[in-house]
Amino acid sequence: MGVLQGATELFPVSSLGHAVLIPSLLHWSFKQSDPSFLPFLVLLHLGTATALLILYRHEWLAIIRGFFVAAVRGQIQNDTERLAMLLLVGTIPAAVLGVFLETRIRTLFASPYEAAGLLVMNGVLMLGFEVLRRRAERRGAADGSSHAEQEERFAQAERISFRAAALVGACQALAFLPGISRSGVTIGGGLLAGLRHQEAARFSFLLATPVILGAGVVEVPQLFSSGVPVGEYAAGAVLSGIAAYASARFLLRYFRSGRLDPYGIYCIAAGLISLALLHFSL
Amino acid sequence: MKSTTTSIGLGVLGIVFLIVAVLYALGLLQFLASTSGPHYKHAILFTVLAVASFVAANFARPKGTIYVTDRPGR
Repeated sequence: MGVLQGATELFPVSSLGHAVLIPSLLHWSFKQSDPSFLPFLVLLHLGTATALLILYRHEWLAIIRGFFVAAVRGQIQNDTERLAMLLLVGTIPAAVLGVFLETRIRTLFASPYEAAGLLVMNGVLMLGFEVLRRRAERRGAADGSSHAEQEERFAQAERISFRAAALVGACQALAFLPGISRSGVTIGGGLLAGLRHQEAARFSFLLATPVILGAGVVEVPQLFSSGVPVGEYAAGAVLSGIAAYASARFLLRYFRSGRLDPYGIYCIAAGLISLALLHFSL
Repeated sequence: MKSTTTSIGLGVLGIVFLIVAVLYALGLLQFLASTSGPHYKHAILFTVLAVASFVAANFARPKGTIYVTDRPGR
């Protein structure tokens, strides 16, 4: 579960959807209604957030410093300060929607059938984002330019508008639906806002860190309830962190020239196969 | 959109958010909460909103005539 959560949290394929679907399809013995399941998920998320913090440790130090300097000065003077404020603006909508709606939404869509259906929808969304992106590329592209050359025309994360950052941040709330990927919708939102693929992934990972970390930290007291095998769960968190770190490194390299299409096709196929397997109770 | 009025409005909003955060933390406010008792998640959220409001208030505050391009580091 640790490896599965860590790997799928950052890939645009929905970790929550896989966490609902795979145990159900493989007939794993634990129950998600079990009181010890939430502390387990909390630790896995803390593992993922730690991996992202390690990956972007220098950047986060600069962002935190930039935030305080710009906040006290009341003016943005460089790209790091702008990125710090963009992340604040992008985090607030997800945090508000998360605190007030997450539990209600998750309870409404917790069954494997719904997760499989939403995974198909996630795939359609990923393909849709790329269709719109290709249209934008065609509008301004010189004939015969390669994908890499076209990418150069798009912006870095620091150049996104504050309105777009808030919208991309709000899109994170869609990921409370099991099957819809947080990184998928935020990368897609970044693409629509005019970012390069790699920059959209970077912005998505930076945006995800405070949300994942915050959601994990506030649930830490759950870990100290009786009957929680903390050592075993901690091993899962370490595995989750390693998988997340490897996934993030892979995705940042992949998005230099890659697109969301393969993940969209994977989600549609995985969702449809899961629906068939669940329907025929295989 | 720099004006003293906007700045003061955002500052007041920040104070309101802080009060709401304290009420959630003490368990005195149960609005949109699924259980009774203290709601630390809600309290943290409103603290973040308060900080964001104070930052926005400082950004909205008129700072006199400063030509950004003439400032060092540009």
